[in-house]
Formats: sequence, structure tokens, C-alpha cells
Amino acid sequence: MSALAQIPILPLLLATPLACTLLTLVVPERLIKPLNATLSALALGLALALALGFDATTGGYQFAFVRPWIPAFRIQLDLAADGIAVLMSLLNAVVYFTGTLTMWSLNHRTREYFAFISLLVFGVFGVFLSRDLFAFFFFYEVAVLPMYPLIAVWGSTRKAYAAMKLTLYLMAGSALLFPSLIALYVLGGGDTWSIPELARRGFDPSVQVFLYPFLYVGFGILAGMWPLHGWSPTGHVAAPTSVSMLHAGVLMKLGAFGILRVAIGILPHGAEVWAPVAASLATAGIIYGAFVAWRQTDFKYVIGFSSVSHMGIVLLGLATLSADGTRGAVFQMFAHGVMTALFFSVVGFIYDQTHDRDIDHYGGLATQVPVAGTLFILAALCGMGVPGFASFVAEFLVFVAALQAWPVLGIIAIAGLVITAAYLLRVLGKALFGPPNPERAGLLDLRPVQALPRVILAGLLLLFGFVPQLALDLISHIGAVVK
Amino acid sequence: MTPLTAFNLCALALFCMGLYGVLARKNLIAMLIGVELMLNAASLNALAWGRYGLVDPAHAAVSGQILVLFIIGLAAAEAAIALAIILAVHRHRHSVDVDDLDTLEG
Amino acid sequence: MVLDTPTLTRLALAALAAPLCAFAIAGLALRSRPRAAAALVIASGALTALATLAILALADAPIQQVWTWLRVGDTDLGFGVLLDPRSRLMGAVVGVITLLVQIYSTGYMAHDPGRTRFFALLALFEWAMLGFAYAPDLLQAFIFWELVGLASFFLIGFWYDRPEAIAAAKKAFIMTRVGDVAMLIGLVLLFALAGTLDIRESLDRLHSLLQGHGITSLQVEVAAALLFVGVVGKSAQFPLHTWLPDAMAGPTPVSALLHSATMVAAGVFLFARFEELFLLAPLTRSAALLLTAFTALLAALLASVQVDIKRVWAWSSISQLGTMLAGLAAGGLSSGLFHLTTHAAFKALLFLSAGALIHHYGTQDLRALGRAGARRDRLTMLGLLVGAAALAGIPGFAGFASKEAVLTAVHDVPGRAAATGFALLVIGAGFTAYYVGRVAFLLLRPTAAEPHEPTPPDAHGHPPTTAMSASILTLTLITLALAFAGPLVASLLGQPLPELALAHAVPGIAAVALGLAVAVFDFGRKSSAPPLFERVPALHGLLLRGFYVDAIYQRVFVGAARLCARALHFAETRLLDPAADGLARLTLAMGEGTARGQSGQLQRYIGVAALLLACVALWLGFAE
Repeated sequence: MSALAQIPILPLLLATPLACTLLTLVVPERLIKPLNATLSALALGLALALALGFDATTGGYQFAFVRPWIPAFRIQLDLAADGIAVLMSLLNAVVYFTGTLTMWSLNHRTREYFAFISLLVFGVFGVFLSRDLFAFFFFYEVAVLPMYPLIAVWGSTRKAYAAMKLTLYLMAGSALLFPSLIALYVLGGGDTWSIPELARRGFDPSVQVFLYPFLYVGFGILAGMWPLHGWSPTGHVAAPTSVSMLHAGVLMKLGAFGILRVAIGILPHGAEVWAPVAASLATAGIIYGAFVAWRQTDFKYVIGFSSVSHMGIVLLGLATLSADGTRGAVFQMFAHGVMTALFFSVVGFIYDQTHDRDIDHYGGLATQVPVAGTLFILAALCGMGVPGFASFVAEFLVFVAALQAWPVLGIIAIAGLVITAAYLLRVLGKALFGPPNPERAGLLDLRPVQALPRVILAGLLLLFGFVPQLALDLISHIGAVVK
Repeated sequence: MTPLTAFNLCALALFCMGLYGVLARKNLIAMLIGVELMLNAASLNALAWGRYGLVDPAHAAVSGQILVLFIIGLAAAEAAIALAIILAVHRHRHSVDVDDLDTLEG
Repeated sequence: MVLDTPTLTRLALAALAAPLCAFAIAGLALRSRPRAAAALVIASGALTALATLAILALADAPIQQVWTWLRVGDTDLGFGVLLDPRSRLMGAVVGVITLLVQIYSTGYMAHDPGRTRFFALLALFEWAMLGFAYAPDLLQAFIFWELVGLASFFLIGFWYDRPEAIAAAKKAFIMTRVGDVAMLIGLVLLFALAGTLDIRESLDRLHSLLQGHGITSLQVEVAAALLFVGVVGKSAQFPLHTWLPDAMAGPTPVSALLHSATMVAAGVFLFARFEELFLLAPLTRSAALLLTAFTALLAALLASVQVDIKRVWAWSSISQLGTMLAGLAAGGLSSGLFHLTTHAAFKALLFLSAGALIHHYGTQDLRALGRAGARRDRLTMLGLLVGAAALAGIPGFAGFASKEAVLTAVHDVPGRAAATGFALLVIGAGFTAYYVGRVAFLLLRPTAAEPHEPTPPDAHGHPPTTAMSASILTLTLITLALAFAGPLVASLLGQPLPELALAHAVPGIAAVALGLAVAVFDFGRKSSAPPLFERVPALHGLLLRGFYVDAIYQRVFVGAARLCARALHFAETRLLDPAADGLARLTLAMGEGTARGQSGQLQRYIGVAALLLACVALWLGFAE
């Protein structure tokens, strides 16, 4: 791996989607999709190289790349990846690549669409790889803002409303975040934005207790934290397929990542004080999301609320502040990202043909479109936390940690598994199984090319289900926040 | 009454006339004249203070006059732009009555 | 001959790998070649059966081999095999019964378009159950336990275009999941108490910790009780029993497998696997004994009125599982597992022969089957009668020996709970004999159709194929042979079966005799008198509807969950969402309010500005 160490892999990874944005704006129309497919494949390759080149035995931040950015305010472009960032970058690259492939049939304002998508991906990579707090927030905003045009222009079902709602919620989160980040900078001595450095310096307990809720809620909104999750299902529903995939698959993870990296990382004492509240909200989200998903009639709303529920598991794992809980949460971020991407890509495929997402208007899809149906069933099984799929180990780790940290909440959260099974089996029973609906007899199944991105996602779910060590090695160095 | 006070009072009168013109006249050109009057009031004050007053005696006369020169220059530029705008408004709306120009109403 | 450890380990791994490979290959590559898929799955099943039998017969001391599957922090989560007497016995039962069911299915499913999927799922089922039986590790046990549930979900819902099949599969999955949740919590508690995931080590440690007062007996009771809830769910014991009768919606070979060696047997095996834990938890044991004995009686009663042959066997499974669990709860490891073994054989036999009849005559109604001429299928009826005799517990047949062993084990436990349990079991045995006799007579001595009965569909079915007959015949022989296997099982497990004293055997035998006599009286003679339960129409109706347990669950639990979902959905759409929208609207309204101050009148703006400036000037002036 010594040869690899010479390549500035993080700047390359970050530059790829940015280059994609710029090139997309200038290349001829017919080259846009090949260009995006190539560059997203390149990003995936770089992310894979990053994961392979990452030395899991030593852990810590690796591949550091530091350049001054705004010296007057000591702002740096400080790129470095630890195991969590590597895993999340891999997730982002996978969803980017598969999402690009699923949008092959797009023909409305293709240029702008792909430009915005790759800009969004650029921001997401920036967040995962930045060690500088200011750059972190900068990229965070870069990642969030393209959602508005992407939903408002290319969306469906109440798209203007959904786009505005999403933007307002996320801006509210940013409004909480930005002053808090500046407060961290000022109170941290006013001479560094470096997250590890700030974490090392530590903050006064009263400051921590005061600032923590701002950061937690600010990031929590993006993570779909109950009760501020309202933007997320609406946004999922309105967004076009690959945006839904990125949105639920990656963007929501930014919130959880921010909580882990910034809120808990810099303010551990605050996290400890607020942990009971955070854990209660997370558990409420798990149960609430599952119950509400049970009542939905729109495929995407079911998945949207299931995201609230599954992100609740992530937040619960983070709230345990234990090593196992955090590992489980990070792994669940990955598993859930791949799983929802698969869900949305399959639903999007059906929706593109019928322009109808009402579960009751379907029946026997497993007979009518066996390949797409099987992929949907695989995603649903993963959602139920069946062994053999990535989310099983992740949820198991979170639940074990939760039972030890908060027995009552842990029991409630585990009981949520029953409701999860109920709502997912309801969808399977109504739409996938049962007598085929004759009105949908003309549905086409996935062609091999279309199946490719979905099969990649399903394969990843199974791969990480059978060999979870692949992911756990990367994040084995996570320690308990509170000993 | 010192000369300074006399000049100040005169400038005050000029300023009030200008202000009245700006506030009360409906014709944009008349309002522009009001603005010019106010500028002149300010210039008069500057000259008076420069000559009699508060500034360092060594540069007193000169500094007041420099300020006034600037004001004249600015007033010329302002009049040119304002007249151009008024002309454009007239061309679009066939009116220079300020009450008709309420597109900024909330 | 005894094989050495590496060979046995390899055999166990081969037994595990074969069905998994068959599942993967058949499911992915052989979708359009059902014959090849069936052949592959049966080959894997044969390999597994041979391997498990070799492991059963040719092993000596317990073997445990664990490889690290994943490492989380300092905890190693292992994957491996534990070959001790219990798992060897269970593994062999799984291997043999599955193979026979697979062979049988070539005939039964010959005309089904989805038979590749069917065989692939059978292989998955076998893999999951075997992985559970051989699991040395709490997490592995839970993983395969879940996979058993998953495989049975897909098999029960195999005909997925039938709404009732999907409903039954859903119900099975969700109800057992209720148990799984409790079990998962119990496993985590066990892990927290013992500090290891290794099952045998954790049980050992628990014992010494309890003696050293490192943990309280209450903690052990709670862990045991939670595990028992998992058993209740999986083995369909009261109050989580209602899914099993509905699971009949799956193909009959699936029922044969599900009711004998897999799925429901997993619950019993879990109890046997954690027998040492339950021995440390006397309260849970007593409660378990009472509950399972009660289930045994309740299910036997319900089986006595069913007209659908598969439903009779389904309720009978619940009853027999209750019997096994009562034996295990009484501390009779050999008795319980011996009954598990004999039951696996005769229940598979009963289902397979019932399936052959259904396949032939196109109906599941007992009376219709009898009238259609079921008794002419000689071999099938022979199998069915041997299985029925074993189930009824007629002396000389397999079920007799094992059931008496259980009864004696329960009888030997002092205390009022065990005495009550014994009484319940004996009465249950009586009703078992009664309903078995009823089935036999209805099939053998058909009565004239009553006007309100549905006419059977035209018999356009197929007589049993050679493969089906061969399976039935083999199982018949196995069932007959198992009558004498008691001492073998006992010596394998190292716990002798309880002495069959006359005093203990008399109530059981008397109950069976009485039950059979009533069955003969009710169905064995030409008489127009209604049978036992139909004389009390109210009770009959109650039994037919399973004491309304299902309906009550539907109302209470499903209803409560639905209500909860509705309430939260209301909160989402009527409270949270409008609150957010309201906030946005408030902002808009504020903007509109301020905008109204903007008249657009230039001179008014200038006036206000001048006034404000004047105020500022005045203020500055006064400030000086």
C-alpha cells in the first residue's frame, strides 16, 4: 500500500464529483450520462481504494492532506479519514454510482440534474473527510442546498411544498449549528477550527451542557430525529429516484455523522448529561416511525417513515455513548443507507412505469416483475433485521448496548422489531404477494442493465450481512465516549 | 448675531425649503430641485464653518471649500442620474407624478 | 467405531454447507430447471442426512469447534459446531426427516410451477434448523433461530398469490417474533450475567456464579422466563399458539417438516439446550410445566372437533409439543427429547400420508376423504394408522413409550404444580386417543353425507407417486422401530428414562383406553347419535373457534396496535405536520404584516426618514 500512500487520495476523491459538476455544465448533451457514470465509477473506485488502503490496525486519522484555506481565520482545508469516514465515504460512493445508473432514463434538464447531484455528492464527501470545523459546515451546506432544486424541479407529489419544507427544516438546523460552531471556535481559544484539537482541549462542563443541545438538535434534524423528522418522509416522497436514494441513503447520515463527530466528539460531557433525553427521543422515533409507517398507503411514505424508525436505532446507538453502541450505530448508518437506496431504486423503477405508488393498487408484483420484486423483498428482509443482512449485526450491537445502558428503552426499542415486521410484511403481503393485479399486467421487469445497480446494492447487503467484519474492522477503533 | 449664526440660519431656511419641496411637491423635477436646495444649504453651512469656525484655522477656509467642491461635483452627478431616471420613468409611465410610482407597495 | 474430532467437525460442516450451497445454486442458477434443482436439493439432503446420522452414531465425547465470525471490540462472536448428545440427536432427526420430505415433495409438488423455489427453500430451512441445532454460541443460535422463522415464513406463504397463505405466513412470522424479542432480551441478559456467548460455558458459569452469590436467583429466573417466552412463540404454546393451525396454508410437505423436525421443534430444542438454566430456575420451570401441560390439554380438545385433517394434526402438534416441553420442564431431558424424536417421525408420517390423501382426492375434509374412498389407498392408510397409533399412545407403538416417559418424569416431580400438570397431561392423552380414533374411523368407516356439508370437489387428483409412497413407507418403518429406541436415546443423553412403574402408567393407559372407547362408541358403529362434543352445541362451537383466542387477539392486540398506529398517524398528520406548517405560515404572516407598512409612496418614506433623523439629531443635541 506504500504506492497508494503517495497518491493524494482524499483530494482526488473530493475533486472527482466537483470535476463532474463542472464538466457536466460544459460537455455536449449526449456525453452527460456517460461522463457521470464514469466519474461516479471513478469515485467508487477511489472510495474502495481508500477502504482497502486504510490501515485498520492502527486506526485514527489517515491520508491527511492539509492546506491553508482562509489563513486570516485559521481555516484550513484539512482532509483526513478515520474508519468511520472511510465507511461513510464508501456508502456515499456506492449510492452515487448506483443512483447515477438508475437515472439513465432521465431526459428532462439532464445537465442541471447531474450537475446538482454531483455537487451534492461533493458536499457529502467534504463533510465526511473534513477535520476542520468550518470546512465541515461549509461542505454540510453545500450538500444540503442542492436538495431544493433537485426536488422542486425533478420531483413529484407536492414537490414545491416538500422542497420548501425540507429546506426550511434544514436551514433551521443550520441556524442552530452555525452560532454554536462559532461559539466552539471562540471558546476553544479562537485559534483553531480543528475538530480533534478542539476535542482535545475540552470545554468547561457548563459550556458543554449549554451548547450540546444546539448541536444535537441542529444535526439531529438532518438525521431525522423525532419529533423534527417531518421534512424527511415528505422529501423522500417528492424526490426523484436517485435523489431519494442519496437523501435517505447518505444525506440523513450526515446528521448522525455530525452528532458523532462534532457534538459527541467535542462535547462528551454534554453528551453524557443529555444522553437520557437523546435516548428517549431516539426510542420514541423507532416506535413512532414504525407505527406511522404501518398506516401509510404510499410505497415511498412507508420507506420514509421506516427511515425515521431506522435512524432512531442509529441515534439510540449513539446515545448509549458506549463503544459497541457507537459501532452498531455507524454500521447501521451504512446498512440503512444501502438498504433505503435499494428500496427507492426499486420503487422508482415501478413508479416510472405506472406513475402510481399506492400500495393497494398493486398485487402480486413478485409474479409480475420477479427480479424487481425479489430485490424489494431482500430490502424488506434487511429492514426487518433478518440475519444474513447487514442491518442484523448493526441492530444487534445497538440493542445489546442499549439494553445495558438503558434497559427499559432497550426493551421498548427491541419490541419495535415486531412492528417493523408488521409494516414491512404488510407491504409485502399487499403489493408483492397476493393475486396479481390484472391492471398492472403490462409492467416490465428490470433489464440486466437496469438490474445492475440494484443488484450491487442487494449484494452489498448480503455481503456485509455474512461478512460484517469488513465493516467492523474499519470502525473497530471506536472507543467508548464515557468509560 | 454673529456672522456664523446668520449663515446658519440662512442655511436652515434653505434646507427647510428644500425639505418642503421634496416632501410636498408631486412633480419629480420639483422634488429634485428641493434636493438641490438642501445640498446647497449644506454647502453654505460648510463654507460658513470653514470661514468662521470650528475647524483648525490653518486649513479652515480651504477645507470648507474643498468639501463644497465635492458637493457640487456630487450634485452634478446626482442631477444627471436623477434626470436620466426621471426621463426613463416618464417614457415608461408617461407621468412624473410621484404618487403614481408606488410599485414598491407591500 | 468412533470417528475422530476433525472428521466429525468436517462432517458437521459438510452437513451445514450442503443445503446452503443447494439453496444458493438452486435459487440463483436453476430457476428454469426444476428437475435439476430437485435433484440437487435431494442430493444435498441425502448428504446431510448421512452426515448427521454418522455424527449421531459415531461420536463419543462432546466436540466443540468455534471459528471467529466477527470480532467486536474484545468480544469474539463465533460460528461453529457443538456436537454433544442433544445436538447430535436433533441434527439426525432434522437430516432424516428433511430428506424424506424432500423425496416426497418430488411427487407432491410435481405439477407446481414454483417447485424450484420450493426445493431451494426446503434446503434453506434445513440449513437454518441444522445451524440452530449445532450452534455452540448464543448469537449463532439466535441467528439460525431467526432464519428458521424466515424460511418457514416463505414456505408457509409458498403459494404467495393466495391471500390466506400470505396472511398465515405473516401471522406466523409476527407471532413468533414476539417470542423472539423476549428471547433476544433473555440472551442478552444471559450474556450479561455469564459474560460469555458460549452456551455451555455460560451455563457452567451461571451455576458457579449462583452458588458464589455473584448473581441472584431472580436474575436467573428472569433470563429463563424470557427464553421460555421465545420457546412459547416458536413451539406454538398457549398463549402464542394461534399461528400454527393457520400455517396449514402452506403445502402439506412443508407442514410435515414444520410440525416435526424443524420450526416448532426448534423451541423444544432450545428448552433442551438450556435445560441446565431451567434447572436453576424452579419458578420458571413450574410455570412452564403448568403452561405447557395446559396447552397439551387445550390443543387436544380443539383437535377433537376439527373436520380438516391438517387442522387436526396441527392442533395435535401443539398438544404434543406441550407434552414434550412438560417433560423437559420436569427435568426429564431424555423423556422430552425422546418424545421429540418419536413425534418427529410419526407427525411427519401423519402429515405425509394426509398429504397423499389430499393429493389424491382433492379435499382436506375428513368426512369427504372417507367417503371418497381413502381406505382404498392401502399403503397410505397403513402409514396413517401406524402414525395414528403412535400418536394415540397405544402400547407397543413409538408414542406410547415416549409419552409414558414424559408422564412418569412429570409424576416424579414433587409439588402441586407437577401434580396438576400430570393430571392435565393425562386428560390430554385421553382426548388425544379420542381424536385419533375419530380420524381413523371417519376415514375407514365413512358416513353418509349430511345435507349441509360441502360436496367434495371432483376427484381429479393423482394417486401417490412412488417417491411419495417410498417416503411414507420409510417413515412407517422408522416410526415402528422408534418404539424400541427409548433406551438408546437415554444412554445417548446420559440420563436414563424414568422407570415405568405400574402406578404411574395406569392413569395414562386408562385415559388412552377410555378415549379410544369413546371414539369407538361415537364413530365406530352405525348410529345416528351425535358424537361427544356435538352433544353440547355451545361447547362444540367454542372448540371449533378455538375458544375465540384468535378473535380476542385480533381485537385486543392487533386492535390495540392498530389503534396506536392510528393515533400516531393522527399525531403526525394532524399535529406535528400542521405545527411545522403553522410555523412557516406564521413567518409568512409576519412578513405580510410588515409589508403592509410599505405604501410605496416615496414622499411618505422621505418624511419618516426626515422625522427620524430629526429625532436622532434632537436626541444627540440633548445628550450633550
